[in-house]
Amino acid sequence: MSNRRSRQSSNAPRISDDQMIDLVGKLRHLLPEISERRRSDKVSASKVLQETCNYIRKLHREVDNLSDRLSQLLDSVDEDSHEAAVIRSLLM
Amino acid sequence: MNTYNMVKQEFIKKWITTLHMLDSSVDHPTNVTERKNAIKLSSDLAIAAARSGATVWSRAIISRTGNKTTNKPVARRILKKARNRMKNRCTTVRRNGSLKAKIRMRKRTELLKSLVPGGESINNKDYLIRETLDYIVYLRAQVDVMRSVAAVDLVIGDLQNVPRNK
Repeated sequence: MSNRRSRQSSNAPRISDDQMIDLVGKLRHLLPEISERRRSDKVSASKVLQETCNYIRKLHREVDNLSDRLSQLLDSVDEDSHEAAVIRSLLM
Repeated sequence: MNTYNMVKQEFIKKWITTLHMLDSSVDHPTNVTERKNAIKLSSDLAIAAARSGATVWSRAIISRTGNKTTNKPVARRILKKARNRMKNRCTTVRRNGSLKAKIRMRKRTELLKSLVPGGESINNKDYLIRETLDYIVYLRAQVDVMRSVAAVDLVIGDLQNVPRNK
């Protein structure tokens, strides 16, 4: 905790232990794989980083796929049709 | 209403705006690919706008979008709001470890920086973690909402089988 007073900027950032515990606690709720494992102190910083990267990549892929699906969906929908109104009301 | 629902609500609001924004600024997409890109662009811009450009990742998305669309004044407006929230943190922490572990950490940190928008410009590890956590929450909201909208597809598929006045 007392380490936080140092004021050096670095290009090769490292994480302290209590920062890691904090991070793992928060990521536990967000990352499916880690939360299933249920080990509190044994998850390495490196592993957490890896899982985080995998998760973000997965989410990026999903956004991409969903954009695809939505564009195909809208492609088959007329602007003023009933279906378009349904979509609009869903978004509102 | 919990925080995550509020995030999704905010994203939906912004997405409607960005969809209209792109719709009026870009020539109507003629093919599915252009339409897909417009949807993705509007969606990404929406999570950034939902965050009000208060984070590095959201500002990075806005500035990279500003180059892609002709609607730069809007991007500029969002950025202006964001500029006031700029924060600088210079603290960092040192930690002992084997060389292999250090190299592994460095590699994975670089990977994470490449995945979070604007991550390359963040040199402080503490800050990078905070940005990452924040970004993940909004990414998930983006996916959840888009998935819900796409699910309408199933309902509509059934509706189209019913004869109707057009």
